This record gives sequence, structure tokens and C-alpha cells, in this order.
Amino acid sequence: MTQAIKINNLNYQYDDTQTLFDDFNLTIESGQWVALVGHNGSGKSTLAKLVLGLIAANAGEITVFGVPLTVETVHEIRGQIGMVFQNPDNQFVGATVADDVAFGLENQQLPSNDMPSRIDEALNIVGMQAFKDREPHTLSGGQKQRVALASVLALAPKIIILDEATAMLDPDGRDTVMQTLQALKARFGKALTLITITHDMDEATLADRVVVINDGQLILDGTPAAVFSQRDLMHDNGLALPFAGELAAQMQPAPANYLDERELIQWLSRLKK
Amino acid sequence: MAITFEKVNFSYGAGTTLAHAILHDVTVNMPSGQVTAIVGQTGSGKSTLVQHINGLLKPTQGRVVVDDFELTARTKEKQLMQLRQKVGIVFQFPENQLFANSVLEDVMYAPLNFGADKVAAQAAAETALRRVGVAEALWQKSPFELSGGQMRRVAMAGTLASDPSVVVLDEPAAGLDPKGQAELLQLVLELKSLGKTVVFISHHMDHVVAVADQVVVMHDGRVVAKDTPAVLFNRDLDWFKKMKLDLPKAGQFAEKLTAAGMKLPERPLTLTQLATAINTEVGHE
Ligand SMILES: Nc1ncnc2c1ncn2[C@@H]1O[C@H](COP(=O)(O)OP(=O)(O)OP(=O)(O)O)[C@@H](O)[C@H]1O
Ligand SMILES: Nc1ncnc2c1ncn2[C@@H]1O[C@H](COP(=O)(O)OP(=O)(O)OP(=O)(O)O)[C@@H](O)[C@H]1O
Ligand SMILES: [Mg+2]
Ligand SMILES: [Mg+2]
Repeated sequence: MTQAIKINNLNYQYDDTQTLFDDFNLTIESGQWVALVGHNGSGKSTLAKLVLGLIAANAGEITVFGVPLTVETVHEIRGQIGMVFQNPDNQFVGATVADDVAFGLENQQLPSNDMPSRIDEALNIVGMQAFKDREPHTLSGGQKQRVALASVLALAPKIIILDEATAMLDPDGRDTVMQTLQALKARFGKALTLITITHDMDEATLADRVVVINDGQLILDGTPAAVFSQRDLMHDNGLALPFAGELAAQMQPAPANYLDERELIQWLSRLKK
Repeated sequence: MAITFEKVNFSYGAGTTLAHAILHDVTVNMPSGQVTAIVGQTGSGKSTLVQHINGLLKPTQGRVVVDDFELTARTKEKQLMQLRQKVGIVFQFPENQLFANSVLEDVMYAPLNFGADKVAAQAAAETALRRVGVAEALWQKSPFELSGGQMRRVAMAGTLASDPSVVVLDEPAAGLDPKGQAELLQLVLELKSLGKTVVFISHHMDHVVAVADQVVVMHDGRVVAKDTPAVLFNRDLDWFKKMKLDLPKAGQFAEKLTAAGMKLPERPLTLTQLATAINTEVGHE
């Protein structure tokens, strides 16, 4: 298996007073969908910025598809990663929504004939084609998040990192994004690696793997079922289980093992008979 | 303090060729001492609506009355100070409201601005920061060197510190971790118990059910429903689809259970209601 991202013995601190990451290790296989969760201030966004080379590690090594991240390689590596930042305002560069989506494509030196259709396609997926000529800063919160997503989708990068990119979406927008991610995964398989940073545990269940961090330390790492079996540990870390998991804990009798929503419904409907 | 919108129309860029009409004939009342939730799909006008409550936007037509203050197109900027003392807003993107050199100074700004002395402002700021779970280790940091969730908490503290009678929260749970979300709901209920009027925008129907006395539904710049959560969330499923709204998760789960052959007597709105209903149902067999 190829490794999309490999983080080895990472050390990082913003200032002298406190070390955030101390000897941190994480490997993400190509084609994996990883949900990264943790309480506020646990280091999720920092980790994403380190991988993008927006900030530099104090020690340790980050490799992306086998290439070590250095001053020389950072440009090439960033070209393979599409990231949606936690605050979409920090990411808009274009004067209009269409310019904004075009910006990344221009950097990719895509033939200019292909650009309009790529832009339209991406805006279409997120339902924002009618807003093409609007200035991004005049959009509503959810509209901004949709455009930020379109800009990344248009690039068709090998690695997509979404930092709470659905936090302000309405239910419809959230469903669209989750379905789009699932469709992309199905289409690109091993060629697309996804990292979603989220506080929504129901969203995290869609991933292949859930990684829990707390103050720069890896607390849990495994399949959604394995991680969400640890209810007390999750609660102790300021987190929760998906809705079905919290519900199962209230059942009398409670199921013996962790069940996801579909399994819990099956289990309950069998109890009834 | 009661809030009343009377026949409010609002356009961005009103009077220019680029005018965008956003709010249409909005008449709605948010009773004093209650929690009013505002829901509706992306772009339906929720943030635009609530920015009228502290005069950040003024109605193009119609009027907004907050307690004894009347806001119209003609209200002068210098009169707004009086309104802003009554109404605290936490914006959808909290970064945009942070500005000072340190977290503590940022939160002290509003009380100082409204006439508190330094000692009192600092005491109010410290109480507010503790209330929203901002660790003391962060108080001397720049508010721009915080995580997303920490910024939102600081913005919230900045609004609470001046003890406004009306608290407006635009999507306050976004970016908070699950524990922070639960604490936020507690905070809203506490504000209500202190007699404050709270306006709460959310896409999370579970949060709405947990705190709201009434729910206002916006659609394309109009108010299309106003009900208690119990009444609203018992409407037909088709209506929710049309409004692009969700049921609370307990209601969604119950629908899936029905499809799998277990029908509950009533639509549950909370996890506790759902668990009780299932336990009763299973126990009967
Ligand atoms: N630019 C910065 N300068 C100094 N400290 C920072 C900076 N950005 C973040 N921090 C600190 O580093 C820690 C980790 O922040 P980070 O943004 O990575 O958290 P996070 O897990 O993304 O949290 P959230 O869920 O709130 O977004 C926090 O304690 C934060 O205060
Ligand atoms: N400055 C502006 N100029 C022109 N149109 C604007 C401006 N600000 C907002 N709009 C438009 O007004 C409509 C309502 O926006 P508003 O921010 O009130 O929506 P919202 O209900 O809060 O949505 P969300 O749930 O996405 O935050 C949107 O279509 C938006 O694009
Ligand atoms: Mg973050
Ligand atoms: Mg809004």
C-alpha cells in the first residue's frame, strides 16, 4: 500500500511556553477516509497546516506520497492537497465566486478551454451556479462554505482535507456534501485520500477510520465501531458518540456491542418480534 | 425585552442598481424572557434578519421595535448606541468580531464601552470567560492565535460581559466540540432563567428542541411558520422536505424504525423521549 501521508516523530509548538505535538506519529494510507476528531484546541487544524507546509515542524518528518516535506517540495506537495479551511473567509481570493473557483485551476495550468466546464461542474455539485458572479464576501455563511468546497472539488486533488467544512451547512447542504464525498470515494478508490476534521460524530461514522486526538496526543485510532465502543473515553475527551450510539446506551437491555444506526435498527426490530 | 418586526422589507444595496431584496414583509414577535429559535435553509435570510435587532442593518421599509427603541430606515447612527447596549450579538463568523491585542482586553471592551470602570470590566470579563470555558492560560494570548472553537467562546464571552438584556446567537454551536455544544445549550437556558430574551439561529433541530420556546421558520426571506417546537415538529414530513428542514435526530430515527416495522405511538423529539418510547414498546412484547 502506498502511504498518502506519513507523520514521524513530529514536534511542534507555537511558542516557547507549551508544546502542542510531542513525538506525534500518524500514517494515512492512500485511499483511506480518515475522520479526525478532538475537543476544541486539541490540535486538529494545526496538524492540517503542518501537512500543508503552512507552518513548519520544530522536529520530525512529514512525507506526502513518499516525498519528504521541505522548502523545496512544499509547492509540489500543496498542489496535491485541496484544503477547505475552518473559516471560508480566509480562503477567498477571487472577486467573484467563479473567479474564486478558477483561481486554483489556473495554478494547475489546466488548458483554459476546460476551465469553464470544470467551474460549472463544481458549482453545480454544491448548488451555487446561480451565484457565479457574486462577490464571495456577500454570501451567507452556508453559501460561503459551499463555494469553498466547490473550489477544492474543481481541483480534483489526490488528498482532500476538510476542516469543519460542513459546520454551517443546512441539512440539505450537509447531505449533498456527504453524498458527494461518498461518490468521489467510490469513483476514485485508492486515488483519493480524504481527511475530514469534524465535531459531528454522525459524520465521522462515514469514514473508514476515526482518529481521536487530545492536546496533541493520539488517544484512539481505529474503525468507527472500535472508536465509538469507547463511550467513557470519548466523553472524557469532550466528545460524544453518534446519535445511535448514545441511544443504544439508553436501551434496556442495551446491546452487548457497539452498533451503528443500521445495525441498531435491525437489532431493535428483531427484539420486537 | 420584547422584539417586534413590523412589515419589514430589506434590500442589500437599497436604492442602488445592485439592490438585492432579501426580506419580504416580515412581521414577527419575539416575546420578552423567552428563547426564540430561527431556522431555515441556507440563504433564507436568518443572519440578515437578526442583524436588524442591534441596528447593524436597518429596515428598508417597516420597523423593528426592541423594548422601547424603534428602528427604521431613518434611525441615525448615533442613536444606535442606546440599542447596542440592550442587544449583544455573537456573529456567525466570530473571528470577524475579535480585534483586541489580548483575549482579556477583547472581552473587556464592551463593558468599558458602556461605562464600567476598569476593575468592574475586568471582573465581568473574567466571569464571562470562565462561564464559556476559556482556560485562564489563554487570556493573555492574541484572540487571533486561538483555535476555531476557542475563538467562538471568546466572542461569546465578549457579548455576555456587558450583560445585555437581549442575546442574539447566530449559529453559535458551529465549531464547538460536543461537550461545548451541550454547555452552550445550558448557557442559553441559564440566560433565560435570568430573564433575558434570547434569539438563537441554528441548523441543528436537536438544539432547537432543547432550548426554544418558539421556532420561527424562514424561507426565501419570509417567515413561513412560527410555533412551539412540539407543534412545529409534528407537521407533515413533506412540509419539512419543502422547507429543506430536518426533524430532530430522534424523529428521524423513529421514521427509520417505522420503516423497519416498529411504529412508536408519537413522534419523539429528544433522545430521552425516543429511548423511553422504545423501552416501553420492547417491554410490552
Ligand atoms: N496561530 C497560533 N498561535 C499560537 N497558538 C495557536 C495558534 N493557533 C492555534 N493555537 C493554539 O494551539 C492549540 C491547537 O489549536 P488548533 O487550532 O490546532 O485546535 P483545533 O483542534 O483545530 O480546535 P477547534 O476544534 O477549536 O478548531 C490551541 O490551544 C490554540 O490556542
Ligand atoms: N452584502 C450582501 N449583498 C448582497 N446579498 C447578500 C449580502 N449578504 C447576504 N446576501 C444574500 O442574502 C441572502 C440571505 O443571506 P443570510 O446571510 O441572511 O442567510 P442565512 O439564512 O443566514 O443563511 P446561512 O444559513 O447560510 O447562514 C443570501 O442569498 C445572501 O447571498
Ligand atoms: Mg480547528
Ligand atoms: Mg447566516
